[in-house]
Amino acid sequence: MSDSQTVSVTINGHVYTADCDPRLTLADFIRHKCGLTGTHLGCEHGVCGACTIMVDGRTARACLMLAVQVDGSTITTVEGLASGNELNPLQEAFWDNHGLQCGFCTSGMLMCATELLEENPDPSAEEVREGISGNLCRCTGYDSIVKSVLAAAEKMRS
Amino acid sequence: MTIAEPVHNQRKYVGTSVRRTEDPRLLAGRGQYIDDLTVPKMIEGAILRSPLAHARITNIDVSRALELPGVFDVITGKDLAAVAGQQPVIWLPIPDQRLAKTHALAVDRVRWVGQAVAAVVAVDRYVAEDALELIEVDYEPLPVVADLEAALAPDAPKLYDDWPDNVSGSHSYKTGDADAAFASADLVVSGSFTHGRAMGCPLEPRGCIVSWDSFSDTLDLWLSTQAPNLARDLLAEVFEVPVSKIRVRTPNLGGGFGNKFDFYGEEIIAAVLSRRTGRPVKIVEDRADSFVATGHSRDQRLDFEMALNNDGTIVGLRGISYGVLGGALSTVGAGPCWASVLTCMGPYKIPNLDVTVKVVMTNRAPYGSYRGWGAPKGNIVHERLIEMAARELGMDRAEIRRKNFPAPEEFPYFSGAAFTFDSGRYADCLDLAMSKVEELGWRERQAKARAEGRSLGIGYSFHIEPSGYGPSRIMNLVGLQHSGFDEATVRMDSVGKVTVYSGQINMGQGTHTTYAQIAADNLGVPMEDVVVVTGDTDSCPYTGYGTGGSRGAPLGGASILRASQRLRGKILRVAAQLLEASPDDLEINDGQISVRGTSSKSVSTRDVGDAAYRRLLDKLPEEEMPTLEEVDVFDPPNMATSYGCTALLVEVDRETGMVSLLDCLQAHDCGTVLNPMLVDGQLAGGLAQALGGALLEELVYDDEAQLKTASFMDYLLPTAMDIPPFQFFHQETPAPDIPGGVKGVGEAGTIAGVSLVASAIDDALSDLGVTVTRFPVTPPRLLDQIREAQSRKEGSA
Amino acid sequence: MKPAAVKYARAGDVQEAVALLSEHGTDAKVLAGGQSLVPLMNFRLASPSILIDINRVNELAYVREDNGSLLIGAMTRQRDVETSPVVAAAVPLLPQALHHVGHVTNRNRGTVGGSVAHADPASELPALVTGLAGELTVEGPKGQRTIAAEDFFVGTFTTAMEYDEVLTAVRLPRLPAGTGVAVEELARRHGDFAIVAVMAAVHLAPDGSVDLVRLAASGVDSVPLRLHSAEAVLAGAQPTADAIAAAAATVAASVNPTGDVHAPASYRRDMAQLLVKRAVGAAIERIGVSA
Repeated sequence: MSDSQTVSVTINGHVYTADCDPRLTLADFIRHKCGLTGTHLGCEHGVCGACTIMVDGRTARACLMLAVQVDGSTITTVEGLASGNELNPLQEAFWDNHGLQCGFCTSGMLMCATELLEENPDPSAEEVREGISGNLCRCTGYDSIVKSVLAAAEKMRS
Repeated sequence: MTIAEPVHNQRKYVGTSVRRTEDPRLLAGRGQYIDDLTVPKMIEGAILRSPLAHARITNIDVSRALELPGVFDVITGKDLAAVAGQQPVIWLPIPDQRLAKTHALAVDRVRWVGQAVAAVVAVDRYVAEDALELIEVDYEPLPVVADLEAALAPDAPKLYDDWPDNVSGSHSYKTGDADAAFASADLVVSGSFTHGRAMGCPLEPRGCIVSWDSFSDTLDLWLSTQAPNLARDLLAEVFEVPVSKIRVRTPNLGGGFGNKFDFYGEEIIAAVLSRRTGRPVKIVEDRADSFVATGHSRDQRLDFEMALNNDGTIVGLRGISYGVLGGALSTVGAGPCWASVLTCMGPYKIPNLDVTVKVVMTNRAPYGSYRGWGAPKGNIVHERLIEMAARELGMDRAEIRRKNFPAPEEFPYFSGAAFTFDSGRYADCLDLAMSKVEELGWRERQAKARAEGRSLGIGYSFHIEPSGYGPSRIMNLVGLQHSGFDEATVRMDSVGKVTVYSGQINMGQGTHTTYAQIAADNLGVPMEDVVVVTGDTDSCPYTGYGTGGSRGAPLGGASILRASQRLRGKILRVAAQLLEASPDDLEINDGQISVRGTSSKSVSTRDVGDAAYRRLLDKLPEEEMPTLEEVDVFDPPNMATSYGCTALLVEVDRETGMVSLLDCLQAHDCGTVLNPMLVDGQLAGGLAQALGGALLEELVYDDEAQLKTASFMDYLLPTAMDIPPFQFFHQETPAPDIPGGVKGVGEAGTIAGVSLVASAIDDALSDLGVTVTRFPVTPPRLLDQIREAQSRKEGSA
Repeated sequence: MKPAAVKYARAGDVQEAVALLSEHGTDAKVLAGGQSLVPLMNFRLASPSILIDINRVNELAYVREDNGSLLIGAMTRQRDVETSPVVAAAVPLLPQALHHVGHVTNRNRGTVGGSVAHADPASELPALVTGLAGELTVEGPKGQRTIAAEDFFVGTFTTAMEYDEVLTAVRLPRLPAGTGVAVEELARRHGDFAIVAVMAAVHLAPDGSVDLVRLAASGVDSVPLRLHSAEAVLAGAQPTADAIAAAAATVAASVNPTGDVHAPASYRRDMAQLLVKRAVGAAIERIGVSA
C-alpha cells in the first residue's frame, strides 16, 4: 500500500498509464490525465449522469469511481463512439432529431442509450424514458431524446 | 423600421428544419466547455462560503491555509475590497430603490448561507479544497430573516442597519381608475399566489479562467457567460480599467437559462487572485457551490384581485407582487420581480390597472435571472384569476379568455404598464389549441378515465412573451443601465465564403445554425459556405444586452439579415462589373450570380471575392471600396411579443396527492419560424423547466435560512419519466417591427407551464372545487388540499 | 467537490479485507459499489483515512440456491441480481424492489451488500431483507457470524457490524411457489429514495386464506421495518378488503417517521397505511403470475 498508485487502463482502444493519487476520481483522471474532456461533470454526486461512461462493458458514473479502481479495465467514453469522422447511428439519430441542445448531458446520454439499446434493441417510448431517467437534461424536455433513441433503434435493427 | 428596398431573396433555409451545424462535434465529445479548457501556468481556485445566514465576521485566520503545500494565495473580503469595487447592478426599474450592494467577498458581514468569505488558489482543485478546511472564520451570529413574512414583520431584524426596514423599494403602475372599477364590478376574484424559489440550474456549472497580465496590463478571460460585452463593461467598472484592455471569450456553454446572464463575484475573485499570483486562475463552481452561488429566482408572493362584469368582461386588476430578494442584489436587481407586474395583465384587455411591485431583502441567496424572468409569475396572476372567474360565472374557460383578447386590428396594443404588444391573433391561437385537444381525443381519455374512477384533468394556459429586449431608449427609460441593440458583421472573404460575427452567445439554442440560415438566404449562398463566429469580444461586435430576454433570433437575427442584404447589394454590384450587366438585373442563388431569367452566363461568389480582395484591376468597380463586409446595428423600435396557448393532460392520485403529466401540446406564434425543429426544441425545453418548477423543484430554506435542498438528491430536476410528450402547432404572425418578422421564443415554455399545471389539477379535481395557488405543488400539499375539499364537501352535503 | 486525501488498499479476499480493517480501525471504510460512499466523500461529508476496496473480491459475487434459501454474495452487483433467473424464481420480490434502486447505471456498480451495510432506512434493500426475515453473514477477525435482519439494522446508517467486520452474504428464505409479490413505492421521482415504500409477499392456502404474508416498509423509521402487526391481522384470514384495511390500520402505530423537505411525518404515516393496502392488494392480484 502506497499513497500514489500506477493506473493502466485502456480507453477507446488506447492504453493510458499514469500515477494517481488514490482520491483522484475516475472522471478527473479521464478528463485531465487522459485529456478526454468529452466526459462531463455536472454534479459530482452521481445524480445527473453527465459523466456516464462504459467500464468493462457496463455503464458507470465516472464521478463515483476512483481512478485507482480501474487499473486493467477497458473503458469507452463518448470519444470512442464515432469511427473516425463518422458518427455512429445513435449519434446520427440525435443529430437528426434535435436530441441535444447545449450538448453537456449528451455524452452521458449517449453512453446510457448505447447500453439501453444493447440490452433492448426494440424499446418502447416508455422503456426509453425509464432507461434514460438517470440522466438529467435541462435543455430538451427529453421528448426529442426519446425520439432520437427510438429512431436509432429502428435504424440499428434494419 | 425595415429595409426599404424589396429584395428577391433565396428562401431555401429559413423556415425549414435544418440540422444543426453545432451538433457533430458536440456529439463526438469535442465540445469545449469552461472546465475543459486549460491555459499555460493555470492554477485553480475554490471559495470558502458562509455556513450562517446572517452574522458579523469578527476574524479570519488564513495562515494555516497559506502554509499548505501547493497553495499560492488566499484572500479575504478586505484584500478584495482594496482593489475592486462592489458588484454592479444594471436593472434599476424601481425609482429611488435602496441598493443593497456587496463586494465579491464579504467584508465584515454575511447575509446568506453560501456568501463568499475567502478564496484560495492552489495547484489544483483538490488542494484548493483542502486549504479551505484550514481557514478559520469567527462569526458573531445575527438574528435571521428567513422569509418574506419575517422580513416584513414590524419588529423584524434589519439586514441593512441604515435602512428603516427590509424593503428595498416599491413601484406602482396605474391605468384608468381601478378602485372605481372594483367598486362597480359584478364579480371580484382574488388570490394569494406563491412561487417557491427555483433556479435555472444549467447542467454545466458556471466558471471562468482569468489572466491578469501585469506586464501588458491586460485582463483576459474565458467566461461561461451569456453576456460577454456586459461582463467586459462591468469588469471595467469594478476594476476601473479601460474596456480595451479586457478580452472576454466564451467557450461552449452547457446551458445558461439566465443563470449565466448575470455577472458574478467569482469573475472578480479570480481576477484579483490572478493579479496577485501572476498566474491565470480558473474558478469553476461545483454543484454544491452552484446551489448557493448561482442566481436563485421565482421566489414571489402575488396578492391580486380581478374585477369582472357578469358577461365575463374584465374591468380591473389590482394587486401587489412581493419579490423575496436575498441578502444583496444580483446584477439584475429587482428586474425579474418588476417584470411580473409588467406582464400580470397577460393577453387580456384590462382598462383599469393598479399593480405594485415591492421587493424585500431576506437572508436568502441573491435573486437573479432565470429564463422567463418575471413573466411566469405574471402568467400565474392572470391565468389563475381568469379561471377562478370562469368558475364563479359558470363560463367556459376558453370563452372567457376569448372575450377579453384584443382583436388583431387593435394592435399595437398598450398593455397599461410599459409594454406595447406589437401584433397578435390571440383568438386564432386559442382555437388552434382547443381544436388539437379535440382532435387528439383528450376529452375521451378524460371521460373514460373518470368512468374508471381515475382523476384526469385538462389544463390551459394562454401566455404572452414580450421578447426581443429591447429598444435601448425604452430600456433606459424603465431603468436598465445598459442598451438593447444588437450589432453584426457579415463578411465575404477572398474565395467567396461567408463569416458572420455576432455578439450573441450560443448556449444550446442553436443560433449558429439559425444565423447561418438567415445569412445564406439573404446573401443567396449555400449554408455550408457560412461560418458563424461568436464568443470573443476582441473579434465579435457589441451586443447591447447579451443573450437574454429572448433576443437572439429577433435582434441578433435582424442585424445579420440587414447586414447580409447590404452585402448582397455589394456582391451584385461587383458581379455586375464582371458580367457587364446592371446590378438591378442580377440574382444570386446558391452562390451563383446571373442575369435574372437567363442562365447563360454567371459568375460565382468566388469570382466576386477574388475581384474584391486580390485581382481588382478591371473587376472591382472604381467607386467600390475593396473587401466585402457590412456592419449593421439594429435597435428595435418596439419589443416583439410572441404568445401561445398550451394544454396539458394530467392525472391526480387523490389518495397520495401525486400528479402525473400525460400529454402536452402548445399552439404558438413567434412570427416567422426560422427553423421549426429548433423552435419546438426551445418550447419543449422551457415547458419542461416550468413543469419541474410547478411540481418538483424548490429551494427550501428553514427558519434559520439554511438551504435544505443543496444537492440533486433534494433539488429535484425533472427526469424523462416526469415530463410528458409534447406536440407543437404554429401560426405565423410576423413581427411588424422586426426585419424578417421573427419574435423571440426562448422563454415561452417557462412562462406558460406553471399556471398550466394548476389549471389541469383544478380540472381533475373539479368536483371538489380545489384551486391551486402555491407552487411547487408537492404531493403532501396537494393531498392536504384534497382532504380539506373533501371534508368541506362532506360537511355541506 | 473533490474528496479529501485518502489512502487506498485493494483486498484480494475477505480475510485480507478483515485484516486491513483491523489494522486501520474505525477511520477505514470498505469501498463496495461506491454509489453511496463516494458522493459523501465528494461532499467531504465522509473523510475516511483509508478505503479498502473489495471490488475484486470475486468470491463475494454470486447468487445461488442454498438449502431452501437464496444466498447472495455481498459484492454481487444489483443489476446482476435484478436480472438473475435464479433470483426471480426464488424471491421474485427482490428484482421488483431493485427496480426502484436508483437507475440502471447505479445498479451496474451498486452491490447488494453495499446497500445493506449502508443501512439507509429509506432505501429498498434493507427493508426487503428485514421484511423477508433475511440473515446477514459477516466476517471478522474472530470468524463468521450470522445476524438476523431485524437485529442488524440498529439506526440510521448504523448496523450491528463491528468496525472490523465485512458483510459477506445475504440470505433470504425462498418464497413458496405461487407467492404474489408487490412493491408500492411513493417517491418524488422514479429512482429517488422512497418517501415511503412498502413491499408485500402473500401466499394463499387452498381455502383462500393467507398462509404466508411478509410486509416491509422503508422511509418510515430510523430503521427499515417489518410490519408485524399488519402481518398478524392477515395471517390465517381471508384477504378481504376489510381484512386488508384492518391490517393497514395497524400501520400507523408501527411506524415512527420523521419529516423532511419532501414530506412531513404525518404524510409518511398516512402513506405507509395506504401503501400497505395497495401492496397487499397488488400482491394478491399477482398470485400465480410469475415475476
